[in-house]
Amino acid sequence: MTNSMSNVEFVKALIIQHVRPHVIDIIDQHQIGFEVDQNEIHLLLLALKNAGWIQMSYLSAIDWPGENKFEVVYVLFNWDKPVYVQLRTKIDRTNPVIDSIIQIYPGAKYYERECHEFFGIAFPGNPDHHKQLILEQWDDIPPLRKDFDPKAYSDRKFPQRTYTEDYSLSNSESTKVEKRKLRKQRAESLKGGKKQ
Amino acid sequence: MRQMKLFLGPQHPGMHGNASVHLFVDGDIIKRSYLLPGMLHRGFEKAMERKLWVNNISLIPRVCVPEPDINEMAYAQGAEKLLKLEIPERAHWIRMIMLELARISAHLMSYGGLGGPTGHYTLMYHAHADRNSILDIFEKISGARVYHQYIVIGGVRQDLPKGIEKDINAFLDDLESRYIEYRDLGIENPSVIARIKDTIMLPEEVVWELGVTGIGMRSAVGKPYDLRKVMPYARYDQVEFEVPTSTYSDARSRVDIKLKELVQSISIIRQCLKKMPEGPVRVKPSRGQSMRWKVPKGYVYSPVESSRGEFGYYMVSDGGINPYRIGVRGASYPQGLLGIEKYMPGTRIDDCALWVDTMGICSPEIDR
Repeated sequence: MTNSMSNVEFVKALIIQHVRPHVIDIIDQHQIGFEVDQNEIHLLLLALKNAGWIQMSYLSAIDWPGENKFEVVYVLFNWDKPVYVQLRTKIDRTNPVIDSIIQIYPGAKYYERECHEFFGIAFPGNPDHHKQLILEQWDDIPPLRKDFDPKAYSDRKFPQRTYTEDYSLSNSESTKVEKRKLRKQRAESLKGGKKQ
Repeated sequence: MRQMKLFLGPQHPGMHGNASVHLFVDGDIIKRSYLLPGMLHRGFEKAMERKLWVNNISLIPRVCVPEPDINEMAYAQGAEKLLKLEIPERAHWIRMIMLELARISAHLMSYGGLGGPTGHYTLMYHAHADRNSILDIFEKISGARVYHQYIVIGGVRQDLPKGIEKDINAFLDDLESRYIEYRDLGIENPSVIARIKDTIMLPEEVVWELGVTGIGMRSAVGKPYDLRKVMPYARYDQVEFEVPTSTYSDARSRVDIKLKELVQSISIIRQCLKKMPEGPVRVKPSRGQSMRWKVPKGYVYSPVESSRGEFGYYMVSDGGINPYRIGVRGASYPQGLLGIEKYMPGTRIDDCALWVDTMGICSPEIDR
């Protein structure tokens, strides 16, 4: 069973029966990915659940600011036909909304909550999706978006620390010269065929 | 009676790691409960996007503290799938030895952790002493005790040191000889049985509702649903082992399965040491020096069976030198968050610590 591609082909046939996916990528004999439209997700999840993909392993999102899209991804697994199915769908980035799937997979509740916290995607249908989970008193754009810069955030949020001595190499000209000298010395010592 | 709010953790002998369970209790019956994660949130997923593919090896073991090797395996395996890389035969076997040693160490730690909520600290000291011997072996192999950074993209970092087989075999023999003693200390001990038998039930329909994997699922469903058997990675298809199961999932049967898995892991390591071929242990994943390694475009989900269940990395590459997005699926995510919210109410305060222990809830992997 595990050596054949038949399970992957089975999933592919099942999906094609219902919709016409934009992209199908077969990763290996245990994994297949589909990219579909937003309004087809619930239909496909239901179809897969009825066919035995009863475990929802992962739900998250990927940010594509260039296309102005979020990609929401659902990973499902069937223990009797061992194939991971990735369902991906692209949604609008300026007003990201996708219906919750907790009616189909109740286990998705906290994944959706986390996704809302880190990407700002709303999941209507999930009663708790807007509550804070991990980040306490967050006051910036959701942190896993690509345009969030952690360095700028920490510079703004936390006081600059003052050091009594300057250990940085980049600013001081003298240390640069010293460093170059040391590097040269080391190179010279290695050139003589001496091995440490 | 008036409802009262109680905090279980982060400072509590029965609580593992820095998370806190908020309990609203009436007498000692829990009426409402939820987990408060976030005390260990370090922004790993964001940090990984900003580092190189090779840099992340030093970051990811921190995602799960008691069992760091599964992170390395899931990450390396996922990147290899994207690269379509075949790694040397010997590396697969060394990886399996590391993973199984890590499984034994995690099971020992969690079995010892049972000593906290049940008040048998002897168990904890014995288990931690044995875990320490595993850490010694890890130190000899990789140079580090807890965070090994040993399984890398393309194989393992270096070959096993000479004579390590002797150390590993000596340890395994020692552990096996005291297996009965371990059972007597813990799950055969009448006072522990009184605490763990028929408590914290996990029916089969709840497993599917929450999406629980690992020992929790196998103890309820009664089928060998283990990723090592169902879709073998590394060379798990070439070793013989059994997957212990049961159909009645109380705290005791879950601990029992944990101990039975320990025996299976011992047997897997012995087989690995026998079957392991000689040869190289590492290949270069990509052209050029490691700072410029590129991974082709793609999406991949890379799962590994950890001691707590299915542990996976969702990896996206845009063809550059940094990962585009890496998402971590913690094995204890469903039972830790939704499980505590939905299935703790109705039980007693002291049972909550047993749920946390026997379902293997690991707070760093919930927070990331």
